[in-house]
Amino acid sequence: MKSIHKITVTVASILVVLITIVACTSTKEVYTPVLEKEVADSDQEFKIEKSGAQLWGEVCNRCHIAPSPSDYNDTDWETISLHMRVRANLTEKESKKIEEFLKSAN
Amino acid sequence: MKKLILSLFVFVFGYQLYGQTYNTFEPSKTQFMLRGYGHTGFEYMDSNDEAESKFLGLTYAPIFLYKHSDRLMFEAELEFKLEGNELEIGLEYADVMYVLNKNITVRAGKFLLPFGTFMERLHPAWINRLPNAPLGYGHDGIAPSSGIGVELRGAFDLGGPRLNYSIYSTNGPRLNDGSEEPEEAGILQFENFEDNNLAKAYGGRIGILPFSDSSAELGFSAYSTSGTGEEDSQYEDVGAFLFALDFSYVKPISPLKGIVDIKAQYNNSNVDTATFIEVHEDGDAEEYSFDNQSNSFYAQLSYRPTMVESDFMKKLEFVGRYSDFNAPEGAEWEEASVQYAFGLNYWLSWRSVIKLSYQTTETEGGHGADGITNTDGLFIHWAIGF
Repeated sequence: MKSIHKITVTVASILVVLITIVACTSTKEVYTPVLEKEVADSDQEFKIEKSGAQLWGEVCNRCHIAPSPSDYNDTDWETISLHMRVRANLTEKESKKIEEFLKSAN
Repeated sequence: MKKLILSLFVFVFGYQLYGQTYNTFEPSKTQFMLRGYGHTGFEYMDSNDEAESKFLGLTYAPIFLYKHSDRLMFEAELEFKLEGNELEIGLEYADVMYVLNKNITVRAGKFLLPFGTFMERLHPAWINRLPNAPLGYGHDGIAPSSGIGVELRGAFDLGGPRLNYSIYSTNGPRLNDGSEEPEEAGILQFENFEDNNLAKAYGGRIGILPFSDSSAELGFSAYSTSGTGEEDSQYEDVGAFLFALDFSYVKPISPLKGIVDIKAQYNNSNVDTATFIEVHEDGDAEEYSFDNQSNSFYAQLSYRPTMVESDFMKKLEFVGRYSDFNAPEGAEWEEASVQYAFGLNYWLSWRSVIKLSYQTTETEGGHGADGITNTDGLFIHWAIGF
C-alpha cells in the first residue's frame, strides 16, 4: 500500500504542476460573451458555437432536470451559476453562456 | 381621531405601495441566497417476515450561498433529520471557493469529495431518481462523501470534448480499531474532523466528456492515505487506497420519444491488513486479521417520455437500478448484498418529484448476522428542491 500511496501522491503532484502551467498559460483568452450562432473562422473551417439555450438543455440535464429560467431573477442566476460552475465542474464558457441565457429568458 | 388614524393608515400604506412599485434599488455585488431541498414520505419494509411501516419526518437540507464577488463564494449545507425520536443536525459541507482563473478554482473547508459522482452530484433527494442511495454509500459505506481540506478543481474545453479535474488533500479517514465497537473493526470512518494522525489523504478525479453534446462522461477517482490509525498506535501506519470508476450518459432519443439517463459507479476499497482483537462471551480474547478489501457497484437506467403528446406522460419517469456491496470475508461486518430497485416518478416541476419505488435486497452476513436476509421495501417519497 505504501508504494501505491507514493505513486498516488507523485501523480497528484505532477498533475497539480501541469494543470497550473496549462491553466496559467491560457489565461490570456479572456472569455467574452458569444452571440447566438456566432461563426468562428479558423483555418478555413467554420464552427458554430453552441447557444446558451442549447448548453442549458445539455449540461444541466446531466445531473438534474434543466431549471426553468423564470424561477429566479438575474442576481439569483449569477449566484447559482457560480455555485454550479464549481459544483459540477463546468467550463467558464459553459456557465457564462447558460447564465446569459437564463437571464435573458426569465 | 378616526380621521387621524385613517389618514395615518393611508399615508403608511401609500408610502409602502409607492416604495415597492417605484423602488430604484440596484442589486448589490454581494449576494446571499438560501437554497436547498427537503423530502418526506412513507416506507414499508418486510425483512424475513418482520414487517414495519412508518411515515418519515421531513428531512430539511438548507444550502447557504454567499457570493462575495464574481470569484469568491462561500457555500454551506446543513441537514436536519428526524431519526430515532431525535432531531439530528449535520453539516454536509461548508467551504469557501475562489476562482483563480478560468481553469482553476480553489476550495477549502469541508467539501463534498469527488469520489465518483453519486455523493457529490446525485445524492440530493430532488436529484436522486430513487428514494435512497445504492448499496455501498451512506453509513458504513465504502465511498467517502466529504472531507476537510483543500482542493483544486476546474475544467478544460478541448474544442468539443471536455475534461474536468479535481485534486485534493484532506484529513483522511480514521480506522475503526475495534476498541469501542469490536463488530466494526477495520471499517474506515470518513467523518474524521479532528485528525487522528499526521498522515493526510490525497485524491482526485478526472472526468472526460468525449462528445460535444455533453451526453457522456467517464470518470476515474482515486483516494490514498499512508496512515489511518490513531497516532502512536499499532494501526498508525495502516494505509488505504480507494478508487472509483463512474459513467454517465444522458441523451434525448427521438425514436424512444424521451430522455434516457444511465448512471453507473464502481467503488473499490483496499485497506492494509491489520490484526484486531475479538473478545468472546467467556472473556477470552483472540487475535484475528482479514484481507480488508471491499467493493460496491451500481447501475441505474431511467427514462422520461418527454416527447410524447400527453402532458401527463411527459411528467412520468421510469427507473431501474441494480446495486451490490461486498465487505471483506473474515471481518465481523462481512457482507455480500445485492439489491434491485424499480421506481415510477411523477415530476410536479423540474425540482419537485413524487417517487414510488419497490426494492428487494438479499443480504448474506452483515454486522454479525448469519445466513441470508431478504428485505422487501415499498417507498413513497416526495422531494422538493428550492
